[in-house]
Amino acid sequence: MDAHEVEARIESELTDAAATVSTPRDPDDDKHYAVEVVSSAFEGESLVDQHQLVHDALGEHLTRDIHAIELTTKTPE
Amino acid sequence: MSFEPEELSREEVQETVEETIEHNEVALFMKGTELMPQCGYSRKALGLIGQHRDDVATVDVLKATDDYRAALSEYSGRETIPQTSVDGEFVGGSDILEQLDENGDLAETLNA
Repeated sequence: MDAHEVEARIESELTDAAATVSTPRDPDDDKHYAVEVVSSAFEGESLVDQHQLVHDALGEHLTRDIHAIELTTKTPE
Repeated sequence: MSFEPEELSREEVQETVEETIEHNEVALFMKGTELMPQCGYSRKALGLIGQHRDDVATVDVLKATDDYRAALSEYSGRETIPQTSVDGEFVGGSDILEQLDENGDLAETLNA
């Protein structure tokens, strides 16, 4: 799963979401991504629930196609 | 003590997960052991917890990774490793520990 697919999937699953995906280790690494997500879906949610929303959006791809994401979640300013 | 790889049944894995979470204030399910973590994220989680607690119970999921993912998923709703629990409650993976640390909330979360 490439970085654009990860972004597209998160943006389509979460309300008003903007996802930025980068490769912290190696530009050709398609197993480890750093993911920053800004979404109004996070408002009022605990940190663990915010992460859960993103994990749910990726579903089985996380752990099957992708080894790990380094996740940062934020609400819109 | 045997150093042969252990064969764990799905039931044994389930039991290990339940008992570890129930009987330990702080539990970490990780890849590898405390002495030899096998994944950078597991190492990071261990290090962050270790700043505040020296009594974390660790479980190496690599002995039966798929069964551990299934058992952990039933408990926390996610199957990514590492996973931390405190007082039976799911806290999160290494990113959440790191963010709690940056916010100055990690000691409190870990009951330290």
